[in-house]
Amino acid sequence: MTALQLTNLSKSFGGVIASEAVNIEVPAGKIIGLIGPNGAGKTTIVNLITGMLPVSGGTIHVGETDITHAPAHEICRAGLARTFQNTRLLSEASVLDNVMIGLHRHETSSTFAALLGLPSAGRETQELRTQSMELLDRFGLTEFADYPAGGLSYGHQRKVEMARAVATDPDFILLDEPIAGMNDVESDALADIFRGVAKDGKGVLLIEHNVRFVAKLCSYVYVLDSGRLISEGAPDHVLNEPLVISAYLGGDDA
Amino acid sequence: MNSFVAGYIPLFDLYCLHVGLALSQYIVLRVGVFSLATAAFAGIGAYTAGILAVDLGMHPVIGVIAGTATGMAAAIFLSIPLARLRGVYQAIATVAFIQICLSLNIYSENLTGGAMGLNNIPKTVGTLTLFIFAALATYLIWSLEKGRIGRAFNTIRQDEAVAASLGISIRKHQMLAFAISGALAGLFGGLEAYHSYAIDPKQFGFHLLITILSYVIFGGRNSVIGPLVGAAFLIILPELARPLAENRMVIYGIMLILVINYMPKGVADTAIDALKARKLKARGAASS
Ligand SMILES: Nc1ncnc2c1ncn2[C@@H]1O[C@H](COP(=O)(O)OP(=O)(O)O)[C@@H](O)[C@H]1O
Ligand SMILES: [Mg+2]
Repeated sequence: MTALQLTNLSKSFGGVIASEAVNIEVPAGKIIGLIGPNGAGKTTIVNLITGMLPVSGGTIHVGETDITHAPAHEICRAGLARTFQNTRLLSEASVLDNVMIGLHRHETSSTFAALLGLPSAGRETQELRTQSMELLDRFGLTEFADYPAGGLSYGHQRKVEMARAVATDPDFILLDEPIAGMNDVESDALADIFRGVAKDGKGVLLIEHNVRFVAKLCSYVYVLDSGRLISEGAPDHVLNEPLVISAYLGGDDA
Repeated sequence: MNSFVAGYIPLFDLYCLHVGLALSQYIVLRVGVFSLATAAFAGIGAYTAGILAVDLGMHPVIGVIAGTATGMAAAIFLSIPLARLRGVYQAIATVAFIQICLSLNIYSENLTGGAMGLNNIPKTVGTLTLFIFAALATYLIWSLEKGRIGRAFNTIRQDEAVAASLGISIRKHQMLAFAISGALAGLFGGLEAYHSYAIDPKQFGFHLLITILSYVIFGGRNSVIGPLVGAAFLIILPELARPLAENRMVIYGIMLILVINYMPKGVADTAIDALKARKLKARGAASS
């Protein structure tokens, strides 16, 4: 069984320590929670894993492969996908095009065929379009396929981004506050999708503010505060720890 | 009637040549690189082809191939330092590159003819050849655009971080765009040399840079139709009246200011977007 493994992961911005000796394991087929107050360093960890920020210390492994210092596009090819805390879609492109880009990693037609518009390249484009439509269907987005992604509601934009991440067919998927700003109906629908992704054997790292949502979905939770892990374990255990409660309430001895 | 058509042939030749150069400019903008080096690559291609024909008596086919290859090689070479820069710094660096090419050209008088230019190039390229190459270049960019490479280019232009997170190599695609841009500019530079008896350094300087960039900004940067339409408008419009033709650059300036203010995406792209929006609206109305 492979896992995404962070070992003593550290990062500092100038003097500010954004993560300090963080150890996290995301096994395949599980949803793992990462919670903590604003500014705790959660997004930084996602950026470190995906190669968007250089790592200061420690290592990141996918199975046996060390991806600590790999460039971002190779990390994707190693089987990692992410969503962004502030949704980042290509706002002028259609919803369908946004999802199709997610399939880039699996395109096989040669550069030469793509340049000359050979039939093999055309067939591939057609094939990707079909696959993308299937994904849109799974996420309940079919009716928006041809609309510019930037015009959709936040909830739908987040779903499109999720569909794009799933399109890369990753082994591990990192979700940075995926239900922020959604109502209960929307977030319940997404919860079902996350469960489905995990059931397909993918490891999910779920960063979330909504503690109830995390408790409902995750089998194991890590709590981050000021760049350090202050607790980990099963959700009902972790969420009742005084240290965790005080970190969330912001007091020292609450 | 015949003389009427004949009167417009030089204009059509110019259009074919400039479509090639406009596509060269278009393809780098398309991948999000603000390079203005097309004029320099065209000069490199033109001089390579010209020198091979004049000094070595080479066959024009070889000259054009060599011009294409040197334009492409120069572009690949330039893409390496340029990959470290972004936006306006890329523009500045590429304008500097044009200036360096100009200076080297004038300095190497023995080889290039210096400021006097290269003369007595045998004219071997006619209207038909120009048209065929312009059509081929358009086809190449069009087919590239609708496939895997076009999708990757679009993503990189709009958001590099997203592109990388989806496994798209920014460096590889920007270098590819540069190679295509340099090859196209070198090719059409070479064709220009064999079409016009003589070339001189000034032809491949700031004036050409502005002209080509105008086509793309005027026409549009997101579809291959943009540069085709932009070049057509800006070449034909000044010909409608003598005083306009004499002040071509003034006309370009005014039209650019108007387009940038009122249709920032360019004439063709704005029209395409409007059509798409109308289609979606019609469908929405039909389904509700
Ligand atoms: N690119 C960056 N440059 C400098 N400081 C940063 C950068 N990204 C995050 N930080 C800092 O790191 C700390 C953790 O931020 P972040 O990871 O965004 O927290 P969270 O996602 O848990 O809210 C904050 O103090 C933030 O200001
Ligand atoms: Mg965050």
